[in-house]
Amino acid sequence: MPRIARRLLARLVVSGGLAVALGTAGLLAPAFAPSSASAAEDGGADRVVVGALRFTSSAPIFIAYERGYFADEGLDVAFSFFQGAQPVAVAIASGDVDFGLTALTGGFFNLARNGALKVIGGHFHEVPDHEGSAVLASNQAYDAGLTSPEALAGHSLAITQVGSSFHYMAGRIAEAAGFPLSEISLKPMQKVGAMIGALKSGQVDSMIIVPHIAHALDKAGAAKIIGWVNAYAPYQVTTLFTSTRNVAERPALVERFVRAYQRGIADYRAVMLDQEADPAATDEMTRLIHQYVYTDRPYDKAAPSIQAGAIYVNENARLDVGDVAAQVRWFQDQGLLATDFDHTDIVDTRFVEAYNVPD
Amino acid sequence: MPDVRPQDRRPVPFRGGGFRPHPLPWAGPAVFLVLLAVWEGAARAGLVSPLVLPAPSAAAAALWSLVESGRLWLHLSASLQRLVIGWTLGTAAGIGLGLCIGLFSLARAGLGPVVAALFPIPKIALLPLFIIWFGIGEGSKVATLFFGALFPTIIATAGGVDSVDRTLIRMGQSFGLPWRDVVLKIVLPGALPAILSGARISASIAIILLVAAEMIGAEYGVGAYILLAGNMMATDQLIAGVALLSVMGLTVAFLIGRAERWLLRWRG
Amino acid sequence: MNLSIEGVSHVYGRTTALDDITLTVESGRVLCLIGPSGCGKSTLLRLIGGLERPSAGSVLQEGAPPPGCLNPLTYVFQDFALLPWRTVAGNVALALEHHRLGRAERAEIIADVLARTKLADFRDAFPRQLSGGMKQRVAIARALAVRPAVMLMDEPLSALDGQTRELLMDDLVSLWERERFTAVYVTHNLAEAVRLGHTIVVLSRRPGRVHATLTIDRPLADRQPGDADLEQHVAHLWDLMRAEAEAADREVLDA
Repeated sequence: MPRIARRLLARLVVSGGLAVALGTAGLLAPAFAPSSASAAEDGGADRVVVGALRFTSSAPIFIAYERGYFADEGLDVAFSFFQGAQPVAVAIASGDVDFGLTALTGGFFNLARNGALKVIGGHFHEVPDHEGSAVLASNQAYDAGLTSPEALAGHSLAITQVGSSFHYMAGRIAEAAGFPLSEISLKPMQKVGAMIGALKSGQVDSMIIVPHIAHALDKAGAAKIIGWVNAYAPYQVTTLFTSTRNVAERPALVERFVRAYQRGIADYRAVMLDQEADPAATDEMTRLIHQYVYTDRPYDKAAPSIQAGAIYVNENARLDVGDVAAQVRWFQDQGLLATDFDHTDIVDTRFVEAYNVPD
Repeated sequence: MPDVRPQDRRPVPFRGGGFRPHPLPWAGPAVFLVLLAVWEGAARAGLVSPLVLPAPSAAAAALWSLVESGRLWLHLSASLQRLVIGWTLGTAAGIGLGLCIGLFSLARAGLGPVVAALFPIPKIALLPLFIIWFGIGEGSKVATLFFGALFPTIIATAGGVDSVDRTLIRMGQSFGLPWRDVVLKIVLPGALPAILSGARISASIAIILLVAAEMIGAEYGVGAYILLAGNMMATDQLIAGVALLSVMGLTVAFLIGRAERWLLRWRG
Repeated sequence: MNLSIEGVSHVYGRTTALDDITLTVESGRVLCLIGPSGCGKSTLLRLIGGLERPSAGSVLQEGAPPPGCLNPLTYVFQDFALLPWRTVAGNVALALEHHRLGRAERAEIIADVLARTKLADFRDAFPRQLSGGMKQRVAIARALAVRPAVMLMDEPLSALDGQTRELLMDDLVSLWERERFTAVYVTHNLAEAVRLGHTIVVLSRRPGRVHATLTIDRPLADRQPGDADLEQHVAHLWDLMRAEAEAADREVLDA
């Protein structure tokens, strides 16, 4: 990430920390000063950079872009694609990216706690009547009796990293099932691919994964679906977030962005959450999403995965503030986060409807 | 000699000196302390955001909370155990294979190219394979360190055997020493300096690989702690963990230095 | 025990190093091998001691080695070949450790040879702490420890400075007077050869052949540096060798 490194250097220089030491700071500072998305001087559209993952769940933002909703708001959106949730948050903290749409993680909360980020809207949410993340057991573990998430105590479970959303979900399942999380042996595998490999080969007993991957593994006989996360906790998995600078200095721009994004969500929900209703519309939207997701596969191969991956997204980007608060508390209880802050320090509810707000 | 006026007598100008480093034991710690002080000062004055670079005192506090919670020992013992097992086995196997390559033409011709081909492969890249072969438990972690230590040791040992004075070997043969005695009493001690400097390198490589080895399926370990700190964006813990690794490296270097001084005391 | 070298030839690749050498090494006498550099003196010594196999001919031991002999053919090397990680006593012990000897017997042999070579005070010193002359004494002590039938000495004094060489030559003479050992002594130094050799064999330049054989009857103990007859022998040997040495010198330069 040379760009980010440069930003960090720029900050040091701008903040004067090394100004004397470097000597040439006067020359360097203007050249390297963060130039994140300032309003275009010529009166044209405001340029914003969106950090996204190539998942079907990011579709509303692609829809808003392709259908010109951002342009309607006078926004010139550029996408910057990432491999994982964490780098998106880092890129926003460093000023390289303006808006992000990924899962909440321990690292995200820590960055937000340091004042770099603000959650401004909700996205993927686990709800009881719509398929979300599934709990999978390896065939060996299933045969040995691991047939429901309640039986996870004493078993191993693959996660990407400590502090990831997988880690959190495991915690909530343990809580709901009534045993301490320490009874599940968590195995950090760094990557989803490694998690799947470990589950298939029986090196771990279980894992949690998005529905279309879960169904594919179950159908192929490589593993067994033993339960769904939404049965244990309503859960605000992914959120829309931006830099603290943006909400403080350019709230109007953030408002315009959220408005366009909400129109994308509305289109997405109308079609993708009930794909049977209008096959033609579903096909059209799938083709639109295919420009961003599974681009390395031909449309015929990509379409089923895209459609199966169409998870529930909150209407109007409503934000489950209560659950965000619960997540912060959970990470704090785990000793992974400092206890000197709560959700109010990291959420800005001015832009979307907040619900389930704690007293 | 004709008369020379006193004012024409002058000392020969001195043109030597320099180009000879002399020890300045205070310089290293002093530079280190000044760096720490500047760093701390910059952080205290708010010139550097704690996210960009946490103050040394913050890192020290993170380290202290690790000590207080008793988790330091959990992390350290997990890592040290992996390090000791992986490195010891790797070094032992490396010395064995290095001796074979140094002593037997067949091993040299057969294994030499294999070693040369495998040495530059980053063992981190092989981690997924190690996980399939050795599982996500201790096996793959120890294996990563094992292979990390193995190749530099083989190369150092084989090179050490090559550098053993051939006249010493001829001398041993001329006194009718059995093959085993020639190897144990002449070749091995002769290769020992090279083996020990190989051990320095392989121990450093093992410590470097610790973070990679503990990426997968590790609950405890200094590497796992650093990775967690990275995941959590807890930069103070990150610095604390890196400092732990650094101390481990210094300790290992010190111990090997001690071993060198004792084993190679004949060098004076 | 005598050694008989019969028609020995040796070839390295396409180079003939030695051509049809026939010699007898008689028990209780010192045979000096001299010749221009590159004439194969050292090669011949390695063939005699069995460190290399001759391409043709054979080296034969005649008669049994003396009783108590542990290593009949024992080398003393030009560069001493001491193990730097062993002490003086340890280096001598190396030659004994693989023989079936009692601990006490071994210690006795070591003490004995160190006393005979005037090294008793240095038994715990490492080679790096010793001068070149002392190192060669250690090597000689090590050779004596195995009670050799024949000592094969490969330019043992060539790595030493002139004064040390004189001292060690005197030591070797008195040692020979006491022990009457048999030796093949390779050197390129004519003064050494006439001081120490009962028989002096001059080899020609490559391929090495026996060019001349000289016997000096005067007892070793009576020979002094500067003796007129010894000087004469040196002059004679030099006459024999001069042309050869010049040719050998040019050969090296041309190579």
